[in-house]
Amino acid sequence: MPKLIIDQRSIEVPAGTKVIAAAEKLGIMIPRFCYHPGLGSFGACRMCAVKFLEGPVKGIEMSCMEDARDGMVVSTTDPEAMEFRQYVIEWLMMHHPLDCPVCDEGGHCLLQDETVSGGHGRRRYLGHKRTYHDQYLGVFVQHEMNRCIHCWRCRNFYQGFAGYRDYGAMQIGNRMYFGRYEDGPLESPFAGNIIDLCPTGVLTDKPCRFVGRRWDFERAPSLCLHCSLGCNTTGSARYRQMWRQEGRFNEMVNGYFICDRGRYGFAYESHPERPRRARVAGLEVAWAEAIQTAAEKLSQIAATAGPAAVACLGSARSSLETQATLQRFCRALGWSEPRYFSVPSQERQVKAAIARLEAPLAVSLREIETADFVLVVGADPVNEAPMLALALRQAWLKGGAVAVLDPRPVFLPFEFEHLPLAPGDLEAALEALTAGAGGTDLLAGGSPWPLLPKIAALGRRLTQTQRPVIVCGTGIVRESTPGLAADLVLRLREAGLNAGLFYLLPGANAFGAGLLSPAGEGLTPLMEDLETGAVKALMVVENDPFWDYPDRGRLVRALDKLELLVALDYLPSPTVQRADIVFPTLTLFERNHSSFVNQEGRLQLAPPVHLGGMPMAQISPEKHPPRTFLSHIPGGEPRTPGEILAELAAAMPAPVTLPGDDLWDWLSRKNPVFANIVSLFESPPGARLIPEAVPAGTFSPAAAPAAAERPPDYLELLLVDLIFGTEELASYSKHIQPAEEPPRLRMHPADAAKLRLSSGDRVALRLLGGTLEVDLQVAENMAPGVLVLPRHRQLNWRLAPDYRVMVAYGDIVKVEA
Amino acid sequence: MQAEIAVAEHPREQAINIMYAVQGHYGYLPDEGLLEAAELLDLTPLELEELATFYDFIYRRPVGKYVIHVCDGVVCWMFHENSVFEYLCQKLGVCAGEISADGLFTVLPTACIGFCDHAPAMLVNGRLYGPLTPLLIDEILEKLKTEYCDLVVCK
Repeated sequence: MPKLIIDQRSIEVPAGTKVIAAAEKLGIMIPRFCYHPGLGSFGACRMCAVKFLEGPVKGIEMSCMEDARDGMVVSTTDPEAMEFRQYVIEWLMMHHPLDCPVCDEGGHCLLQDETVSGGHGRRRYLGHKRTYHDQYLGVFVQHEMNRCIHCWRCRNFYQGFAGYRDYGAMQIGNRMYFGRYEDGPLESPFAGNIIDLCPTGVLTDKPCRFVGRRWDFERAPSLCLHCSLGCNTTGSARYRQMWRQEGRFNEMVNGYFICDRGRYGFAYESHPERPRRARVAGLEVAWAEAIQTAAEKLSQIAATAGPAAVACLGSARSSLETQATLQRFCRALGWSEPRYFSVPSQERQVKAAIARLEAPLAVSLREIETADFVLVVGADPVNEAPMLALALRQAWLKGGAVAVLDPRPVFLPFEFEHLPLAPGDLEAALEALTAGAGGTDLLAGGSPWPLLPKIAALGRRLTQTQRPVIVCGTGIVRESTPGLAADLVLRLREAGLNAGLFYLLPGANAFGAGLLSPAGEGLTPLMEDLETGAVKALMVVENDPFWDYPDRGRLVRALDKLELLVALDYLPSPTVQRADIVFPTLTLFERNHSSFVNQEGRLQLAPPVHLGGMPMAQISPEKHPPRTFLSHIPGGEPRTPGEILAELAAAMPAPVTLPGDDLWDWLSRKNPVFANIVSLFESPPGARLIPEAVPAGTFSPAAAPAAAERPPDYLELLLVDLIFGTEELASYSKHIQPAEEPPRLRMHPADAAKLRLSSGDRVALRLLGGTLEVDLQVAENMAPGVLVLPRHRQLNWRLAPDYRVMVAYGDIVKVEA
Repeated sequence: MQAEIAVAEHPREQAINIMYAVQGHYGYLPDEGLLEAAELLDLTPLELEELATFYDFIYRRPVGKYVIHVCDGVVCWMFHENSVFEYLCQKLGVCAGEISADGLFTVLPTACIGFCDHAPAMLVNGRLYGPLTPLLIDEILEKLKTEYCDLVVCK
């Protein structure tokens, strides 16, 4: 480890650390524009010049380009270095328009800070300034090229780090232009990061344009709830409304960056139709009255039909506190155990995954970046968990290989091997790989499966690596798949590899929901209980079965049988509109701390960003603070589900007090994984709710690998995720909605040829619950025998009994215009 | 062109040659030529535009029959008595990048062309000229106007 002296202080850093990073460890921020710890060094801006007094390098050099080496003596405050930097900033400022008063970056602008700190105050250049035409870059990013200082960060992120190819640096020298070939939305779903990266106001946040200065905002660390990865963000709110989310560094989860769904999905929080008042039978009533009515009706049903006739449905997007309080509440009242998933197959997949995730196997998102081989099974990273795609790209950039086994036309921003296997074949492939890793010769049996040689070749490559990671999705796979993926990891570890396991789950807190769900097949699916009339009253807590339940007709019929539907939610969802009694709840940005468990079991805390209440813009159109004084926050009635449940329990005719002991004590008595969480605020950062020990390998004997049997003349319809348009919360965001692509049905050319269909055809799909019309896209890079349909907001897709159903050829018909 | 790309290990290697070929055909690299070249090379239009606009000798706008590349290097500047560049512009009645009225000439500055021992220098139709004086420039222009010669796209 090289040891060097910077400004008379010595420091020892790992080999390969740049001098600028070593100085940062000492708390010395050397001025910089192009260098970013997430992107690395480029040496483009010349701003980080320091003087090397002793050692292998002498004189003025760029601190971002020099590796720290033994014997270096560096001065960042040497007059020569300071003068050099002063000239650099003067050059960089030569063409800058000095429009800080009308620039959105003003106030948190690196260029402002370093102009001041660099000592450049007086303009000497009196010539004409260079000007550019700006481009339209889509709904997220605002372009203002005149402010550019050519640091290259945006291009280095866009093309280098993220791997998208439609934004870059054109021209040369002073004329250099950062933009697209022509006006148009940026194609990358990670484009928002160039806003955070831009050291000045060239690329600014469009939805947050002209809203406020940094000090006008209430800012707090927050979390992204738009997939299960749990990326860290910083939220900015003003006038009781969220305006902006930025990526926040987390060493173990997302690094520095986030995707655009996470960045712009927050606007559900200020949806104009968001429930703000308690409602009984569609009418807004006083809070206490609603509590009283709900308590009376619920206890009446529990008294007449038995406590088991009252059921609760929690969700995978609620905080762990809400999920746990709901369970405590149900137990205190003697009601049946709460469910957290409305789709039974989802619940079983999540539980199957959680049951197999143990601390030695689980890898974090950032650890994937150091893998030398990643096998992605049944997952479409860009659409299901976007930041995973960037982590995979980092692994690929470091020389690792990525192979994807998935029936969908998967796109990743780098070269990877894609074996389009249908669900069913995926499981066979995993079993074959497990057998292969155990030394079985896969090709010995002479299996007729044509893809087997490819899988065997993949298996050979897998066993030749050192740090492979198996990524397993839970969207379209069978319920046994997560277990098979874990088997493969255990078998690889037996073979001496440092193999890791990474699951994707449906929902930001699906892990918490899975932990709290009763083990095994303990409960009948909620829908059956509703249909048989066993459940007469349903309380839905921050869930919307209308969003994710695949059979709308069945859902409506089942809910029609209910005597009482109570909804607690912050979304203006169909469930809320239908409910007899509605209690508005708080989003994670408002008033209370909430914690979420991401897909690797990592417990993360989200403090509130603001106090909640009706956004000013919805009360006073001129966005002026109110001129009358109130003792309460207008629209501030929503409470946390925990508070509402406690009020309900206390209002019951036979009042029940929820146990007063600590939630975490209670949880750790229930499940030992909670034991190392003392409390929410004292939990060690990065604590994971997964067991430490690896149970002995439980391998089911691998059957002879063969493709799954499928009925002829049938296609398997998969209802899948898209980056924009299928995720519940982001679909309520007015910022995301204009970025959605129209949904399309995708099909393999071989199937399209059999059905005499081609790309662009309008197709009618006859399903159990009705007919659906959608445009067809024929995609080469997907599995034959499979139809891929996004569960898109704009599509009435809820016509099938499950997320995977068989569709006969005859039920796919071309619609003539 | 497709054959040229096919032999390359990475299509991108051939980007410059392909752009020159398109430029040889049109006289400059028009948008439709760039889009077609990008498709052949398996690059996005932006990626090819990054390369095209980096190089002085690829013209993204129409140019005259002869493009006069006046050396903008330090040594040439040292030897300028009066600016060669301005003299040329004045003589031809154009600004940088414009086409002269007879359609023959476009004047562009270029990075050092390595002819420093004959500074100030310029490059026209693949030939180097220098040290330049107003008299010599007049002569060269006259010769280019009157004498037939093969056009050199790249040398």
